[in-house]
Amino acid sequence: MKVDIEREIQQSAEDSARRIRELLAARKVFAVNLISSPGSGKTTLIEAAIDAMRGKKRIAVIEGDIETDIDAARIRKHGVQAHQINTRSSCHIQPFLLLAALDHIDLDKTDLLFVENVGNLVCPAEVPLGEDVRIVALSVTEGDEKPLKYPLVFKTSDLLVITKTDLLPHVKFDPDRVKIAARAVNPGIEIFEISAVTGYGLPAFLRRIETLCDRKNG
Amino acid sequence: MHELGIATDLLDIAIAEAQKHGGRRITALNLRVGVLRGVVPEHLHFLFGHIAKGTIAEDARLEIEEEPIRIECEVCGPSEAREFTLECPACKMPCLRIEGGDALRVLSLEIDD
Repeated sequence: MKVDIEREIQQSAEDSARRIRELLAARKVFAVNLISSPGSGKTTLIEAAIDAMRGKKRIAVIEGDIETDIDAARIRKHGVQAHQINTRSSCHIQPFLLLAALDHIDLDKTDLLFVENVGNLVCPAEVPLGEDVRIVALSVTEGDEKPLKYPLVFKTSDLLVITKTDLLPHVKFDPDRVKIAARAVNPGIEIFEISAVTGYGLPAFLRRIETLCDRKNG
Repeated sequence: MHELGIATDLLDIAIAEAQKHGGRRITALNLRVGVLRGVVPEHLHFLFGHIAKGTIAEDARLEIEEEPIRIECEVCGPSEAREFTLECPACKMPCLRIEGGDALRVLSLEIDD
């Protein structure tokens, strides 16, 4: 007997993601899922956001890494709440892990939650975490062919931030190639170019996150 | 190795749906997988076969239908491709619009009751 079902395969992830979304909506928390390869500057971006939004937004951070709590400790030095998820063998944060991690964050004292995913452009793209905004970061040292090699993450992200632009004179990287490929799969993607070292482009990028956060929580 | 997570979800869905319909053995699973998903069929077959051992799905055959991407060329019009590309397959011009190719879906299952 043949049974037609037509079901998305990552149903269990969708269910947990919906619970996260409901929990964050009830507590008026705006959540960012930050994805990139290892070493693109995700933690540095979060540190810049914390420093720029001090006194304006109460930020909390959930860090995802296979091992160690180095990143959570680094974030706590900035005086904000941070909790580390160690995924061990898993190459991405799974929604049920995030749901459990949210118990360690005082959501009533949080306006903006950054979830720093495990460094990886493949699996995190497939897994919804109940986020309001998905940001993919790409550093200029990684090469401009990443959107051709990993199209799904560029298709499913709302914002693309090209990082380490201060290194552009030293590497072969054409930002336009990245933009054309990213927009081919995702015409609505918003693209920013920044350098955390010089501060170039950072204010505009951080202002955009603040605006999106305000739009949700008024 | 993201195929392991996919195989695990697939097995859960298949067993739940089969039981709902009184199936005692799953003989086949029909899937649609987009080319952007980066799923390696050999890995999915191998991992599914491994985790399905001892379940009602242990003999199930995975039939994977590939969903191509759709390329919109301003000159040649729409076409399809089985690998991600920004080039129109006909005129080789770069195209600014690529759609589809992101399905990851169980279409149906075949069961014995």
